[in-house]
Amino acid sequence: MKMAGRNAALLFFLAPAFILIALFYLVPLAITVYVSFTDMQNWSLYTLRLLPNPLFNYARLFHMMLYDPDFVKVVYTTIVFTLVTLAFNVLGGLGLAIAVYLMEERLSGFFRGLWLLPRMTPVAVYALLWYYFFLGSRDGTLNAILMALGVIDKPVQWGTDPRLLPWSAWAIIIYVNVLVGVSFGMLIFYSALRSIPWEQVIAARVDGASTLQLVRHILIPSIRWHIMFVTVWQLLSLLTTYAHIFLLVEWGVVDRWWSSTWALYVFTTAFGLGGGGPSSTYQGLAAAAAVILALVGAGLGLLALRLLGFRRMIVPPKGEL
Amino acid sequence: MALAGLLRRRVRVSRPVDAETYPKRRLTLVIAAAVLLASLPMLTTYILLVLSSFSETLVTGAEFLEGKPIRFTLRYWEALLSGRLSAIVMTPVTINVWETILNTLIVALGVSLVVTLASTLAGYAFSRMRFRFRERLMELIILLHAFPGVTLLIGVYLLYIWTLASLLHGVGGAGRAFAVFAYTILARASLEIPMSVWMMKGFFDKIPWEVEWSALIDGASRIRTWLEVMLPQVKPGIAALAIFSFLAGWEDFIYVYVFLYLGTEGKYLTLATLIDQLVGNLETAELPLAAAAGVLYLLPTIAFFALTQRLLLEAYTGGVKA
Repeated sequence: MKMAGRNAALLFFLAPAFILIALFYLVPLAITVYVSFTDMQNWSLYTLRLLPNPLFNYARLFHMMLYDPDFVKVVYTTIVFTLVTLAFNVLGGLGLAIAVYLMEERLSGFFRGLWLLPRMTPVAVYALLWYYFFLGSRDGTLNAILMALGVIDKPVQWGTDPRLLPWSAWAIIIYVNVLVGVSFGMLIFYSALRSIPWEQVIAARVDGASTLQLVRHILIPSIRWHIMFVTVWQLLSLLTTYAHIFLLVEWGVVDRWWSSTWALYVFTTAFGLGGGGPSSTYQGLAAAAAVILALVGAGLGLLALRLLGFRRMIVPPKGEL
Repeated sequence: MALAGLLRRRVRVSRPVDAETYPKRRLTLVIAAAVLLASLPMLTTYILLVLSSFSETLVTGAEFLEGKPIRFTLRYWEALLSGRLSAIVMTPVTINVWETILNTLIVALGVSLVVTLASTLAGYAFSRMRFRFRERLMELIILLHAFPGVTLLIGVYLLYIWTLASLLHGVGGAGRAFAVFAYTILARASLEIPMSVWMMKGFFDKIPWEVEWSALIDGASRIRTWLEVMLPQVKPGIAALAIFSFLAGWEDFIYVYVFLYLGTEGKYLTLATLIDQLVGNLETAELPLAAAAGVLYLLPTIAFFALTQRLLLEAYTGGVKA
């Protein structure tokens, strides 16, 4: 009787969350895998039939990697974007966290709030900010300011000028992402720094440690676990972010292919680029690319769980009767 | 306001202000100046957005260098709030701005409700109950949080158009609208479930279990204990989660774009897709209109953030204490 009541309670507590997880993670994942074996196009349910060679889309992606000049750009962009942004996000977050840690409380609070702003800003507004900033006409902030200063005499198409590609497009998407990304590192590192016993800092100061020595020998070594955590976590989320790059591409701020990361490629192949005009979409191909992305993500995720020792964080419950 | 009071009533952890232990005054100034310099472009874009929304043409910042005056106007705000966009937008669409705001609000509130309810329930079980596969399920949840959303999106959307085309074939009007919004809300809320279950578990973990234990010994059921003993104690956590997920639903672009906009041939706009449409269809000269929409969209976020910053920060970092 008691056992039955307990199981009923467990069902009551866990059912809502796990029904959502089943409906919106597990089932769609299975569907996406199935779609990757078909030649589905334009979301037409009639084209949802298994291909004679189910792995055709995967073979096609591999072939494109070698011979499709646009897809080659996607691969390069994904690698450069992910690694460079990751480095900036982790190091920038660390630098920022140490800087605000060393500041007086009021100043520190102001900067922490300021750097959280991009993270809180709705993605459409955030993309809009940088659309204005990098606009290719003389109304663009960067163009207008550089022209007023006499650095350039006619407006530059920052993200699409072939003479500046791919570097300018990469610089823009990386910069725009870093401003959001550093705040994650900043939050985690700052709270970790704050939990270092204050006596330890005082002791180092009394012993005559300079600020640089304090940072190198006390602060950074004590948050090593957090640095690893942020690095892995950021890597995973960088592989999957695409929303604001999508808007910047759709609005023509940056070149389409030199700004398409793998995740954005999946999205635009499946859902189109928007902006009007009839365009075909290829769900079969997109799903195959999506499955590859998921495999990479899941592999890195599992590795992260082992590496970071999440098991130890899951303390067993005490209150069980 | 009661909420604000609840949120603000937190002990401020201050560290001893000790002249010896801070870096030298000059170094502090150098650090502050460096951080300010790094923040400058970002800060500028926000200021220019607000200024542009009140200006005849886009404010670029060069006006200040060249000493040109900014021509202020309220006409873009008037056009936006009264919904008279047809004079400005090139495409012959009628956009009801208030309806757009209402749509955005429905999605945000729906996401907040679903996320808060599901994770307050599941978080309790993970924190307080012992059952088979508990550790495995926790790991699954962490993995799901890091799972590429775009991979799921294809499957979720296929399920969506199939449901609309078959099960809801003959259903129109209010029934269909309800289904469309419910689907969008549930899909978007699910994305937040892993993180928020983990967060809620963290809040429950912090509650001493003696009170709950005595309730259980007195013969109260698990569910009654949860409702009457535990929930009152995690109120700040629930408030944080509700706000957090509200903002997630409010700021979303991809889901409202795919399900509410693409999936219905542009029938339901939210503020995010409205801005997307405005930028795509405006002459450069009329861009301040998009800026006004952007400021309107940004305001609630800033207000909520300012009100509950401390709580949100804690919620954000609560899940990853080593």
